[in-house]
Amino acid sequence: MGQTARVTDLLSTPGAASEHRPDWSWLEDPADAPDERDLARARAEAERILANHGVTYGADHPDGEHPWALDPLPVIVDEADWARLDAALTQRAELLDAVLQDVYGSRRLLTDRLLPPTVVVGHPGFLRQVDGLRLPGGRELVLTATDLVRDASGGWCAIADRTQAPSGAAYAMEDRRVTAQVLAGVYRQASIQRLGPFFHAMRLALRDAAPGGAEQPRIVLLTSGPASETAFDQAYLASMLGLPLVEGSDLLVRDGALWMRGLDGAERVDVVLRRVDAEWCDPLDLRTGSELGVPGLVRAVRGGAVSVVNPLGSSVLESPALPAYLPRLARQVLDADLALPSAETWWCGEPASLSHVLAHLEELVLLPTDRSAPGTVPGWTLAARAREQLAAWIAAEPWRWVGQAAVGPDVDRLRSAPGVGSDRPGTSGVGPADLGPRAAVLRTYAVAHAGSYTVMAGGLARVAEGPLVSSAAGAAAKDVWVMQTAPDPAPAEVAEAGVLADELVHGGRVRVAGISPRTAENLFWMGRYAERAEDTVRALRVVADRWDDDHRRPRSTGGRALTVLLDALTPGAVEEPHGSRRQPALRTLLLDRSAPGAVARSLRRLGSAAAAVRDQLSTDTFGPLARVDRALRDERARARGRTGDELDLGAVADGSQVTAGLRPALDRVLDGLHAVAGISAEGLVRDVGWRFLDAGRRLERAQHVVDSVLRTFAQARPAAVEAVLVESLLLTHESVITFRRRYQSGAGVPELLDLLLLDPGNPRSLQFCLDRLREDLAGVPAPGRPTDQRDHLLADVADLAAELDVDAAVGTVAEDGRRARLVESLESMLWRLRAAGDEIERLHFARPGPGQAFEDPWDAADEVAR
Amino acid sequence: MRTYDLVHRTTYTYEHPVTSSYGRTTLTPRDEPGQVCLDTSLEIDPAPADTAGHTDYYGNRSSYFSVTERHQRLVVTSRSTVEVTREAATPGALPAVDWQEVARSVESGVLAAAAAPEVLVALREMVLPSTHVSRAPEVLAWAQPSFAPGRSLGDVVVDLSHRIRHELAYRTGSTTVHTTQAQLLAQGAGVCQDFAHLMLAALRLHGLPARYVSGYLETRPPAGREKLRGADASHAWVSVWVPGAGWVDVDPTNDQFVDDRYVVLGWGRDYHDVPPLRGVIFAEGRGSRLQVQVDLVPAGSPRFA
Repeated sequence: MGQTARVTDLLSTPGAASEHRPDWSWLEDPADAPDERDLARARAEAERILANHGVTYGADHPDGEHPWALDPLPVIVDEADWARLDAALTQRAELLDAVLQDVYGSRRLLTDRLLPPTVVVGHPGFLRQVDGLRLPGGRELVLTATDLVRDASGGWCAIADRTQAPSGAAYAMEDRRVTAQVLAGVYRQASIQRLGPFFHAMRLALRDAAPGGAEQPRIVLLTSGPASETAFDQAYLASMLGLPLVEGSDLLVRDGALWMRGLDGAERVDVVLRRVDAEWCDPLDLRTGSELGVPGLVRAVRGGAVSVVNPLGSSVLESPALPAYLPRLARQVLDADLALPSAETWWCGEPASLSHVLAHLEELVLLPTDRSAPGTVPGWTLAARAREQLAAWIAAEPWRWVGQAAVGPDVDRLRSAPGVGSDRPGTSGVGPADLGPRAAVLRTYAVAHAGSYTVMAGGLARVAEGPLVSSAAGAAAKDVWVMQTAPDPAPAEVAEAGVLADELVHGGRVRVAGISPRTAENLFWMGRYAERAEDTVRALRVVADRWDDDHRRPRSTGGRALTVLLDALTPGAVEEPHGSRRQPALRTLLLDRSAPGAVARSLRRLGSAAAAVRDQLSTDTFGPLARVDRALRDERARARGRTGDELDLGAVADGSQVTAGLRPALDRVLDGLHAVAGISAEGLVRDVGWRFLDAGRRLERAQHVVDSVLRTFAQARPAAVEAVLVESLLLTHESVITFRRRYQSGAGVPELLDLLLLDPGNPRSLQFCLDRLREDLAGVPAPGRPTDQRDHLLADVADLAAELDVDAAVGTVAEDGRRARLVESLESMLWRLRAAGDEIERLHFARPGPGQAFEDPWDAADEVAR
Repeated sequence: MRTYDLVHRTTYTYEHPVTSSYGRTTLTPRDEPGQVCLDTSLEIDPAPADTAGHTDYYGNRSSYFSVTERHQRLVVTSRSTVEVTREAATPGALPAVDWQEVARSVESGVLAAAAAPEVLVALREMVLPSTHVSRAPEVLAWAQPSFAPGRSLGDVVVDLSHRIRHELAYRTGSTTVHTTQAQLLAQGAGVCQDFAHLMLAALRLHGLPARYVSGYLETRPPAGREKLRGADASHAWVSVWVPGAGWVDVDPTNDQFVDDRYVVLGWGRDYHDVPPLRGVIFAEGRGSRLQVQVDLVPAGSPRFA
């Protein structure tokens, strides 16, 4: 969400730098105020809930996404203070909107007397390609966010406006849900203004932005994808507003209009709520090579066929130079004084400002106007040489730089303190609830509504350790409670999001019926990876138990069976030689995220697929995934801790460390995966998306059962060994009880094969999986593409199964002990199942690859010919 | 007055079938003082499913097309008839203004503000660096001898143009769209786009507004005159703002002021704003061959196509 350099103190304590605790005086019984123990418990609880909801941040960072950090202690703002702020933010939004209209319209404001032209034409967000375009609905700036801090006198001060594609509103809603839950005691007593009306206004604003004639417009949220910094925020916002979450590749421009690819054809799109920076939205007219956008989008907008919110080009208002001119723009445009002050700003493109900035470098925050290196620099953190270098940069290209006054009650203390940025000054004698002099920023949100703007009654507060607030650098979020005196009981915000979605459905929104091929593919692979992880865990469990029983007696029946099972069920684990003895890396097969076939790897891919279709899933899905993740993390930590101890040579020698402690971890993982399976089976509507999810699971299981039987029984073994193998496979495929009930005694490989391959009533059998798979696929569309190839392959597998005479196949053993008939039959099934998987991919998920830019005639000058 | 027939054809031949193609052209000459486009057409083959035209931010005529028919060859042909009455500026007739005075007046805005607010916006825009026009120290060093204090802007322009023509070799294919001014100076050779960008960079570094012009040169010179460089393809040159004279076009590739042998397509900050043709294809594989044919001949002459 960008970095915001500012120095201020706790948001909820205007003018009182030394007092950092929220004001609980409104509680009926002051004793209800949460004490340190309550808060510690609330923090732990919040962490757990956020993990269960899969709330993350920063998937674009090199070390991957991390959990969203929430400090449940809220920022509390009183009603009168907020009412003033609300009015000021509304005015600011109206002003920014007027500036935006002018910048892409008559440009009458672009004079040195009002707004120096270079501030606009020198900003990378000024997109000439969209000059002159207008949004229906009367506003250009539909959504805006403003970052605020408290100034030294306790008043609010704006330090940045976010007008590109403001992020964080859905994080704010999530923060509210969690805080309301973990501080339920005080939350219930509070009269807190609701966040819901803001999202309601947002929905109306999107509808108002629709091109004329679209009575029930189709609206989508264009996401920058699961690998983007605020992926959770985007997906959660989409599900709150009931909008399909689409990526650029899900959309196309045809006949001058925008369409969403569906499994059974394309659907017109009227409004795009974009979370992709404008420059990336169209590789034809904007940034060449962007794969996040849609070629032709600018043309469709220009033709009035679709509206993009915020409109392309809106980020020009994010220029850090603009605040310097807002006061005079307000007088010119609104004939009023600017109600919300900005941090004092000097744009170096003006000679007088340049001299001021150069003379006060060590007091100012320096910001490049175009997000270029070196980013935001607090001048007082620079050593003399670095300061000189910065001064030289600024003097060389002054229009590129802005100096901004540091704001906050603790500015002087922070600046004068040694080691600012790394150390926390002034913490001595301060209790744990004290936040200390940290930087804190409140992001507020406004949306165009009913001729003006609706401001979210609350926002996203973030508090950092140092003077820079950045979610990427680990700033913690806080909920913002705006109090109200009206005796309106606190709403159940926990349910608010759900209620909102409900409201939307009944508000006459057109449901975009189809899902995109990308969504279908992710659901299919969710099913496959969930099943793959489960299969591997079960195999590991069986092999680990067998290892414990028999690995010391390799020549025994059990020992010989163990050798077979290691190769057949956990082939990924048997490559690690340990001395002269072969010791399987069973733990690696559970924990290693990069090892082929490892559980952790399947789970990681399952997580990615789930994140990409978050809008299709209930939040319950993420709880079990988080549990599984915790189990793996714990086991990793435990395994690390153990190797850190003195090496137990005895355990290494006798091989007991191969499985030590593994069983409980496997049980925990399996437990979580069962919950995932339960949610897919019971918690999802049986629509097309579910069919793909189920098809993925069935196909994976069918392959696994055939493969494990093939690997285990291709070679005939002594009866006693095979009895152990039968027992193990039954355990692997959770069919022990059925088997025992059905075959009292004397049952062997043929009976096992009958149960695992042919029994239509056994949910673990090939036959059952095939039936379900074919049923699932019969219910999914594949328009204009013949499905015969896919259907033939699966019918062939069914035929092969029907023709399989298990007694004969098991009984026919060649001289070398190989069961050639069985092998041939199972191998035929296996390659057909794999081919059917490829065919499903091709039929249902195929979509054009990334677009390629035309070869530039300049580059092709060699071939210029007459 | 001269009237020309203009044909500009771009042919892409693809190694793999293209399922859809989206394109944007600046291939229609704009009207401006000294030039009128009498007739124009844009042909796309295969026939496009959608086309749209508009006047862009700089006043250029821009066209969009999309082809949704599967194809392995795309031909974009622009034909125009253009009447040109432009007379070249003569250095002696240009207002004798000190280049430093000009830079100062652009910064203070006094001269521009006297004209019109939009002039100020354009001038401020055309002194900034842009995609292909850098503020590299190499350019500053190279340009330095041309910017003697007190020199008139006209003399600076003439000198820069002359130096580019004589210090750098014109070599087709020696640069790409990614070549920087520093690389150009290091290798000492380039094409018309490079020369225009270098001159823009030199002028803008000194606070002097200048824009990039995309267009054409007469293909076959009148009898007895030498064929000019860049006549077989898209051409590019520079337009410099001279107080009292307005935007003055000069062609550093041929070291001359622009006259009625030139046809203007459009202008912008640099090549990136006005490439004749850009686009995106969705194809089943990579690989394409490109052929460009340009012909600018007196109206009524036999055409090549």
